[in-house]
Amino acid sequence: MAQDIWGVAHIKSSFNNTIITVTDLTGAETLAKSSGGMVTKAARDESSPYTAMQMARQVADMLKDKGVQGVHIKVRAPGGNKHRSPGPGAQAAIRAFARAGIRIGRIEDVTPVPHDGTRPEGGRRV
Amino acid sequence: MVHIKVPQDRIGAIIGPNGSVKETIEQKSASKLEIDSDSGSVEITPGNDPVAGMRASETIRAIGRGFNPEKAMQLLDDDMLMLDVIDLSDMTSTSKELKRIKGRIIGKNGKTREIAESLINVHISVYGKTVSVIGKPEQIQAIRTAIDMLVGGANHGTVYSYLEKKRQDLIQEELEFQPSDIDIE
Repeated sequence: MAQDIWGVAHIKSSFNNTIITVTDLTGAETLAKSSGGMVTKAARDESSPYTAMQMARQVADMLKDKGVQGVHIKVRAPGGNKHRSPGPGAQAAIRAFARAGIRIGRIEDVTPVPHDGTRPEGGRRV
Repeated sequence: MVHIKVPQDRIGAIIGPNGSVKETIEQKSASKLEIDSDSGSVEITPGNDPVAGMRASETIRAIGRGFNPEKAMQLLDDDMLMLDVIDLSDMTSTSKELKRIKGRIIGKNGKTREIAESLINVHISVYGKTVSVIGKPEQIQAIRTAIDMLVGGANHGTVYSYLEKKRQDLIQEELEFQPSDIDIE
């Protein structure tokens, strides 16, 4: 068997939730995934860094079963006309991956940035 | 490799006296900093630890957003701390209005800012068109709401009492959280 399997961990981190999907390098095949709601029951905890850590550990276990050595990271915030900066879960998830013995390759920010798109949601915009 | 643009007048703060700040960041994050003082761009080349490299870019951004290097470097030491930059230019149409809003957030002799900092235990920097906060995610959420209130025209008293309430909640949460969290290695 090939001993150096790498994957790509797509981490979408908003203020309401964190979603981790690990795919192969092409991004076509999903190897493991997890989201805030799969770990915690309280909606307000879905985006918390502790939840993200637990999620990352679960995902890391699944990856080890499949023989994945390391992952490249693609972090993403909601982007577009919403928040541009990743939520609290992203950093925690990456750290937990590293601590669970998964090697971390490149870290990239893939937040979609509009070349001037639609109007932001109403209300005061902070 | 990550590029970050910082304002001209913060370049000096990033380098520090005799390059001491730059050196400390490089050491703590095991990455390399390349600073172009003419264009104001900082290039970060991460070393063996990619996560630390990310923290380094966060730290540089914090210093660029007006934080004192000492406060910004807490980002390198504490994993749980985050930097949040709130852009005020979306919420104000004229530079006069921006000035007024900034004044509201800072308060007389920095009173409002100081109260917010000490109640929630965060660092706040009002610089240029942005307000930046260094703190834990829940703390940042509280400060964000408070700033939202101030921008929206709420009384300062209302904001103080909101922060006071939030402080209690945060203390409570911290106490409750420990037992379930300990088993995470």
